[in-house]
Amino acid sequence: MSEGALPKEDAVLRVDDLQKSFGGLAATDHATFAVERGTITGLIGPNGAGKSTLFNLISGFYEPDGGTVEVNGTDVTGMEPYEVAEHGLIRTFQTPRKLEGMTVREAMLVGPRNQPGESFIKLFATPGSVSESESANLADAERILEDFEIDHLATQPATDISGGQMKLVELARAMLAEPEVLLLDEPVAGVNPTLAKKLKEQIRRLNEQGTTFLLIEHDMEFVMDLADPIVVLDQGHVLTEGTPEGVRNDDRVIDAYLGGGT
Amino acid sequence: MSFLDDPKGAFADLTRPERWVLGVSVAFMLFLLGALLTGALGPTYFLFLVGLAGMYALLSFGLNAQWGFTGLINFSVAAFFGIGAYGSALMTAESSPIAGGFNPLVGLVVALVVALVLALLIGIPTLRLRADYLAIASLGLAEVVRLVVLNERWLTNGSAGVRGIPSFFQGWPVLSTFPETMPGLRLVVIPGSPIILGTSFWQSLLNVLLVLTFAGVTFFVLRRAHQSPWGRVLRTIRSDEDLARALGKNTYSFKMQSFILGSLIMALAGVFYTHLNLYVGPGDLDPITTFYAWVAVILGGSGSNRGALFGGIVIVTIREGTRFLNDVALPIDPAPMRLLLIGVVIVAVMRYRPQGILPPQRELIWPSAVDDRGTPETPDSGVREQKGGGGDE
Ligand SMILES: Nc1ncnc2c1ncn2[C@@H]1O[C@H](COP(=O)(O)OP(=O)(O)O)[C@@H](O)[C@H]1O
Ligand SMILES: [Mg+2]
Repeated sequence: MSEGALPKEDAVLRVDDLQKSFGGLAATDHATFAVERGTITGLIGPNGAGKSTLFNLISGFYEPDGGTVEVNGTDVTGMEPYEVAEHGLIRTFQTPRKLEGMTVREAMLVGPRNQPGESFIKLFATPGSVSESESANLADAERILEDFEIDHLATQPATDISGGQMKLVELARAMLAEPEVLLLDEPVAGVNPTLAKKLKEQIRRLNEQGTTFLLIEHDMEFVMDLADPIVVLDQGHVLTEGTPEGVRNDDRVIDAYLGGGT
Repeated sequence: MSFLDDPKGAFADLTRPERWVLGVSVAFMLFLLGALLTGALGPTYFLFLVGLAGMYALLSFGLNAQWGFTGLINFSVAAFFGIGAYGSALMTAESSPIAGGFNPLVGLVVALVVALVLALLIGIPTLRLRADYLAIASLGLAEVVRLVVLNERWLTNGSAGVRGIPSFFQGWPVLSTFPETMPGLRLVVIPGSPIILGTSFWQSLLNVLLVLTFAGVTFFVLRRAHQSPWGRVLRTIRSDEDLARALGKNTYSFKMQSFILGSLIMALAGVFYTHLNLYVGPGDLDPITTFYAWVAVILGGSGSNRGALFGGIVIVTIREGTRFLNDVALPIDPAPMRLLLIGVVIVAVMRYRPQGILPPQRELIWPSAVDDRGTPETPDSGVREQKGGGGDE
């Protein structure tokens, strides 16, 4: 078996024998792999291979039928998404989520975790601390928007920007939550090449600054260029894991893609 | 910028619907003033109407804190209103079949505690589930509460209702005897139709002050909450709950807080009603109250506190205006007329302004944070309605 073949000494995320079925369909079939701290790990596989399902299981949106998920050495299996997030794991969604009635920078401000102003009591008991952290968060949000070169969008309605810009905002917002490991579900799907390049640069830069990434991507060029190692998923189980070249030249991977998951 | 420093600039700064509402409100106030001065509208009755408007504003505030902020669908507005009304009535009235005779402040606290317990009872099983479960459960709850009030005679007096309710200020120093000690006044503005201000006027004035206090404090609390990170999480939940969860927010807890806050405000409206009307009966729990609150919130603009205030006033105007029309001009039964008017208003709003008359317009960021950063406020046309900071909402 080549599952989880690479030795992982310092895994920030460990998935062990994870299972999930919908009716008779085993969407996740005894999946085992780990994400080493400091890497950009790719997760690929044909359509319907169960990649998004795996993300939902890891982040607490689905309850697994069996197996365990560990984040930073803590067993988070069966925890609520917000508890998993508290352990340092943040995820984005395949389809961009729009926040109606908010400006971009306002939508960004949902990102930071444990804001004092999220406590109703503190709004009235210690408004000073709320102001302080809100100012700091606003400064952070605007700084990240500048880093992403989309600061001109800050006061635009969050629903009025393009799909590609939305993806950038989502990534920027997720960074405000200060994750140790960030799960991105198809970050460049439907994004024009210029923005996709920008996203790639940002992911690389953030990774150099210490964030670990696990990313699902259909765009092979994108993922092969960015990620190492790459985990290949097929029909819910881990087919193989390896370097981009190794995966590219692996016959089983080619078969899986050509076979279309049948 | 305040309206007083620079009235022209402040007016120019308003959006079109804001100007429109301002204009209509001013015209309406002039009309009421005229009616008052000519004696067509008795001052005591006028104050009663203001009290009623305050009560509906509170109900709308409460629903807005649930539906407008968080997207929670609560069809038991009348039940929480009724809990507030009966809670305080049963604690304070002479004819109360249970305790009775307590200070109205005790009634207030008891009513709020009962409303809190009820909100928890319905929130715990439903708020973890999809949004529609709360809607269905609350629909059932409203009917259960109404039937309990109607049938449990040992507790509520049943269909007879509760009489002999004191004023809210009974037992307070000075205020409890204020209406009696104030002199009767006779104002003659237009010769031949004097306006008489007697004990009942002063009593109504006290009531109005009470409801203005309730509504004012509530408005202040909601406004601050809405502009805060707390309110931002609620708006995120309303828009996309999964996103809030993915970003590490305990959405169940936030939904519960929003639900409880709204329910307490509705109960507060009920407490006020008890001491305004001095009688409560099972009819006060009719679903029409829920209906009115929803209309007010949708009309005003879901999520907007001043919209809720505006909607509440419109509801009272329609409710009492139809009665007035019936008395004075057209002998049409006010009840169907009322529903017809409300129907027309809803259709018109949905057709021409589905977001409501005064939707929350400005970017909601804790105001001092925006001011501190000295962010330039030069919104171009596309963000006209989203400009930052210290706005009205
Ligand atoms: N909530 C669900 N209910 C039923 N079936 C599901 C659900 N989520 C995913 N599936 C099924 O599980 C399989 C894997 O889906 P998914 O994880 O979205 O694949 P991928 O993201 O790799 O394209 C698909 O056959 C899909 O239809
Ligand atoms: Mg997918």
